[in-house]
Amino acid sequence: MEFGWNEAEASYRQRVQALLAEELPENWDEIALHGPGSLAQTEFSKRFCPRLAERGMLIPHWPREFGGDDGAPWDHFVLGEELWSAGEPRGPQYMNVNWIGPVLMRYATSAQQERFLPPIVKGSTIWCQGFSEPSAGSDLASLRTRAERVEGGYVVNGAKVWTSYAGLADNCFLLARTAGEGKGAIVILLTPMSSPGIQVKQIPALIGEGDIHEVFFTDVFVPDENRLGAEGQAWEIITYALQNERIGIARYAFSRRVLDRAVAKLQNDGRFDDPVVQDRAGRALAMCEAARLMVYKVVDERAKGHPPSAFGNLARWAVIQADHAVNDFLTEYMQEGLLGEDPMQQAHHQRAIAAGIASGAAEIQLNLAARRFLELPSEGPRGLRT
Amino acid sequence: MDFEPNEDQAAVLGGLDQLIGTLDLEPPREGAFAAFSPALDQELEESGFLQIALQEGFSLLDAALVVERIARLPVSAECAASALVLPLINAPERRPLALGTGLGSPARFLPQARTLLVDCGDDVLLVEVEPDKVQPVETLLAYPYGRLRTENPEVRALGSSMVAPLRRRWRLALAVEAAGLMQGALDEVVEHVKTRQQFGRPLGSFQAVQHRLAMAASTTASARWLAFRAAWSDGEADCAMAAAYVQDAMPRVTYDLHQFCGAMGLTLEFKLHYWTYRLKALLGELGGSSPQARAAAMSTWKHAVQA
Repeated sequence: MEFGWNEAEASYRQRVQALLAEELPENWDEIALHGPGSLAQTEFSKRFCPRLAERGMLIPHWPREFGGDDGAPWDHFVLGEELWSAGEPRGPQYMNVNWIGPVLMRYATSAQQERFLPPIVKGSTIWCQGFSEPSAGSDLASLRTRAERVEGGYVVNGAKVWTSYAGLADNCFLLARTAGEGKGAIVILLTPMSSPGIQVKQIPALIGEGDIHEVFFTDVFVPDENRLGAEGQAWEIITYALQNERIGIARYAFSRRVLDRAVAKLQNDGRFDDPVVQDRAGRALAMCEAARLMVYKVVDERAKGHPPSAFGNLARWAVIQADHAVNDFLTEYMQEGLLGEDPMQQAHHQRAIAAGIASGAAEIQLNLAARRFLELPSEGPRGLRT
Repeated sequence: MDFEPNEDQAAVLGGLDQLIGTLDLEPPREGAFAAFSPALDQELEESGFLQIALQEGFSLLDAALVVERIARLPVSAECAASALVLPLINAPERRPLALGTGLGSPARFLPQARTLLVDCGDDVLLVEVEPDKVQPVETLLAYPYGRLRTENPEVRALGSSMVAPLRRRWRLALAVEAAGLMQGALDEVVEHVKTRQQFGRPLGSFQAVQHRLAMAASTTASARWLAFRAAWSDGEADCAMAAAYVQDAMPRVTYDLHQFCGAMGLTLEFKLHYWTYRLKALLGELGGSSPQARAAAMSTWKHAVQA
């Protein structure tokens, strides 16, 4: 057991930091103001990600056969930590490298891999995640969007909601239901967003621009060759995808960066002399570092090739607490940041308020931790279906 | 970065578990507030586990692993100060060690201690303790407490340069022990809610109970990793942060753990208080959570960071 970085890991982090210093423009904070899904940041990602790819830092952890570098899992995580801390210049493309690509590598046909992976490898494509619906949020297995079997494929009718990045996405990782109930009747359709019958409407919200949308599907034809996996296999694929998604973002790193900046400002203003402010900042700091170690523990398990464990659910809870601790501190002691003085603080605030809701509500994480980590008895028929 | 014990650490913990397995460590069930185990204390001293940080090839982190494991037990032994603070003065023969903030103040383990270290703010005083000069203190808090009968004992001043190291290691010892106590208490309560039936089903099947226990599990794991990292780095900020985090969490976690055991958890025959009332004792140590939180902040942001 030890908590330091070896020489190779430290050197890799320096490379990422050097790259960011070189590639991020002076007005990066303005570009990043409205979040990874905004038009400005998405457009930037289409210039930035190809540069990352050229320098071998877009998908270093992918296997060589898919264009990666067989890199160490820690390198991938350090990369994500530095990029998220910087405001995520990959825009929505972090999702591609974190979980969409790995899912395609594991479950897609050769033809699907040839079609969908190269644009991810080049850093030139945006995906959205067609999971949640008006009546199926945390209870994902109750989704109702229909995929009716027709000759040569499916006809999709229904609606998705809260879909991040849908307005600018090229493809949707779409979940829909064939005839039947339950998890076994769900299929995954890799659906081009240019397909006739898809309508996207952005939902104005407290969180970042382009972060949530409604997506309507009206008689959208999706050919058989776009189905990922077999019918009946979708839930296995989704479970695998969520394991990669839920701990993929180093949220605490951005929280820590924003906290550091806030303390610097408070020190310069003389407000950090107040012991109460020091106390509150210290508690928020401890929450950030706790979240960091909890996530590192999960990455360590992955790096050693252990199967995914329920510890990830505990880590997710710690990450949410850290986001809120920092956000609450800033909202109380740095109100000017939300009054136009600090775009980065506002961006952090907007991410923090969604931290316990996006990617599976915090309470779902607690359900899973209770059942899988503490091995508490099931609630019975009214319990989780996941 | 490696979160698993290495071969040596696994062997140390295996040996410790073996030793623990040979002892009768059931606490008294007839109305005791504290459960100090002289047998455990003596075995730990004689077997060398508490001196591990001073042994060649071992470190403070190895000592922390030992302390955390011992703290999970329902009975106590003076281990955290011996294993993590005493190496500062390189005098393992001086244990058991009590830590205090005043010569006349009650201190944990003082009735058993051979040495008392007092953090006076501008100096550290060392007192060689004679058992007949200690007055035991009756308390709900589940450690043996005592205070010196005299307010003017013979002392040796260790100097102002010892103040910061003592405080750092005291914070570390507190954080590591508290992490183990939380784990011990959580394990006890999880077992209870799995078996205790109400409304025809186990208490632990109710979501209201599940969520708060899952939160406690996340908090406990966080406390443990912060404490172990602090032992690894032995840094001011890390030690203060680990202590601040766990002290901050103690009221919330101990409330929930007692709540799920109902009135049974308030009786002395139920074991829960042996962990929770040690946690409550640690909550008030070193001035409570605020000095630790402020120390974490001040040592992390000593100078204005780049805006």
